[in-house]
Amino acid sequence: MKHVLSLVVLFILSSAALIMPVSAQDEPIACVQNYDPAADYFADEVTVDYAVGFDVEYFNNYKVVHVTTPWQGAETPFTYVLVRCGTPVPDGYDDATVIEVPVQTAVSMSTTYIPHFVELGLLDSLVGVDEFDFIYSPEVRERIDAGEIVEIGGDATVNVEQTLDLDPDVIFTYGLGTPDYDAHPVLLNAGLNVVLNGDYMETTPLGRAEWVKFTSLFFNAEAAANALFEDIATTYSDLSELAASVEERPSVMVNGMYGDTWYVAGGNSFMAALIADAGGDYLWAEDESTGGLPLSFEAVLDRALAAEVWLNPNFWLSLDDGLAEDERYAEFAPFQKGQVFNNVAQVTPTGGNNFGEAGVLHPEELLADLITIFHPDLLPDHALIYYVQLQ
Amino acid sequence: MGTFTAKPAFKSSDEPAIARRVTSRRVGRLRWVLLLLAGLLCAAFLVSLFVGSVSIPPQQVMTALFGGETTRASWATIVQDYRLPKALTALLAGAGLAVAGLLMQTLFRNPLADTYVLGIGSGASLGVALVVLTAGVGTTTLMGALGLAGDAAIIVAATLGAGAALAVVLLVARRVQSAPTLLIIGLMFGYMTSAVVSILAHFTIPNRLQAYTNWTQGTFGDVTWSQMGLFAAAILFGLGMSFISGKPLNALLMGEDFARTLGVNVRRARWVILIAAAILAGTATAFCGPIAFLGIAVPQICRALLRISDHRWLLPASALCGAALALAADVIAQAPGSQTILPLNAVMALFGAPIVIWVILQRSNLRSGI
Repeated sequence: MKHVLSLVVLFILSSAALIMPVSAQDEPIACVQNYDPAADYFADEVTVDYAVGFDVEYFNNYKVVHVTTPWQGAETPFTYVLVRCGTPVPDGYDDATVIEVPVQTAVSMSTTYIPHFVELGLLDSLVGVDEFDFIYSPEVRERIDAGEIVEIGGDATVNVEQTLDLDPDVIFTYGLGTPDYDAHPVLLNAGLNVVLNGDYMETTPLGRAEWVKFTSLFFNAEAAANALFEDIATTYSDLSELAASVEERPSVMVNGMYGDTWYVAGGNSFMAALIADAGGDYLWAEDESTGGLPLSFEAVLDRALAAEVWLNPNFWLSLDDGLAEDERYAEFAPFQKGQVFNNVAQVTPTGGNNFGEAGVLHPEELLADLITIFHPDLLPDHALIYYVQLQ
Repeated sequence: MGTFTAKPAFKSSDEPAIARRVTSRRVGRLRWVLLLLAGLLCAAFLVSLFVGSVSIPPQQVMTALFGGETTRASWATIVQDYRLPKALTALLAGAGLAVAGLLMQTLFRNPLADTYVLGIGSGASLGVALVVLTAGVGTTTLMGALGLAGDAAIIVAATLGAGAALAVVLLVARRVQSAPTLLIIGLMFGYMTSAVVSILAHFTIPNRLQAYTNWTQGTFGDVTWSQMGLFAAAILFGLGMSFISGKPLNALLMGEDFARTLGVNVRRARWVILIAAAILAGTATAFCGPIAFLGIAVPQICRALLRISDHRWLLPASALCGAALALAADVIAQAPGSQTILPLNAVMALFGAPIVIWVILQRSNLRSGI
């Protein structure tokens, strides 16, 4: 009997000994136990080279992040103080949101942040998204199917109760500056840690992609973000250099009618920059706006009737879709010559589109697509990733 | 007055105008007014062809209209495939909505009734929403293959929706005598249908939703040549049904009992008027989206111009005036000289709302009746 008892004790002790180190390994980034004011708690740092919407300042045990223009006309910047967990919160940031980093759980309210989680190796910390329907990433869809991600709804009708129940460490969202639509005032009122991301305000492709560094700040994942972005930026520069040498630049028109209005991309917009970098002649390049330019059908017809390439026509999957919408689209030269390309190569039946997901993080892939469309000889081996030629 | 059992909602001085034989001097005046309206309509039609956000020299517009070669290839396309069908659409939809408004005002004997206010437009919207948001018209490949069948489905859905809404409002109208109460019920009905639409929209995928929101913006620019035949046929049929109903409409204006004493088959007349209004409102709404205020404002303007309640004059006058106003509103919405477009319904409201206020202030029975 005594023998048996000692065996049991031995067994319990040994299994405890087995379990203990494992669980400690599960949290390699646990909170700091013995704070040392002189120590630098951030091994890797990012610098912001292309994005204009955020900046970061590093201190020994915390970093201060400013999001300067989260929406058009935003008056005061948003400040986030990211404090290394287990170290003291610095004084003098009464108006800022204080968040302990690295965060363990996060909610993404825009598809543009999804690839950050996928490619920085943070999938496990993604616990919620705004709407399942719009997600393309197969990795995230897998987790959705496994019931590991919660849908909390978007805009001002966001499900606050469910979000409170989920209790994420941080919620990444965006603002349009219209309280009737925005989710962040509602979430802030509920006392949740809301972080405004202003990536959509960036007007350069690399500026928009660089927001992957912004996400990395909250996870102390700067090393991974730096490596990833460096690749992206290098490839983008190489490709645009290649396209800069072209002699002939095809004229490019974009988008389609929305109601009575045809919104084309402004001359200083993301799309205009991408077209120019890919060696295209954007028909509204001289325009100075950064957002959409509302035009009448007549005005577009007058300028673009003889365009050579047509990009991003609404939700068309085929030329017939365009004809069903309005047969007058067939008047445009690109339509007649079959030079209509839409960013719908990777879509889900419910409305997800990888163009607005991985495409935002990988402008070098978008650029390669557009170069292939404009100048098929320059990249003979490149197969279109996001674009398809409509039939 | 005392001989009528039902309470007429119109100004009492209008009634003798119907009973009285229209004198030849009056007929002359009425003819002049109709001629004036026809002239205005022609002018508005021409302006809408010659003026737009792209400025095209007048002789080039003429060249394009007669099928010649313009100096810029885009000009011919703009005039032939954009401005001309848009002007025809505005003309037909304007006439249709104005006449539908007149029919409604007489049917409900309520000067502020129209297809929009009484929720008929909302009924049409619900019909279209059911088709577009659940089956997917417009941008999906399925409907692209169906082509015209898709357009026809929208018209049928909008007309059925309009008809159903109209029938419900009529049923309620039998129980409710007060004109303002009926308007409030119509308003509630509008809220209910738009609630159903927004719930449907919540569960639909973005491109279908875009097709629907495109439609709700209200525009005359969406009808293309291949759709024009169907659109024009439906509107002209509705107008034809209305124009043969002039006499029964006059009789109904005096109350149903009075109409019966004149030998009018009230039941049948009501049905004909109801179907005509549903076809006109349903078709116009299906192709152009919900267009506000034309239906309510135009019959008022015509009554003020003609100073008569005889539908044999009011019907053509409303059709002409509605068409002219729709064209004028569309010209303004094109914001000539600028590259952008104003929302058509905003322009309509700027025109229409003051007229409604004016009507309420003019008619003493409405000013105090609520």
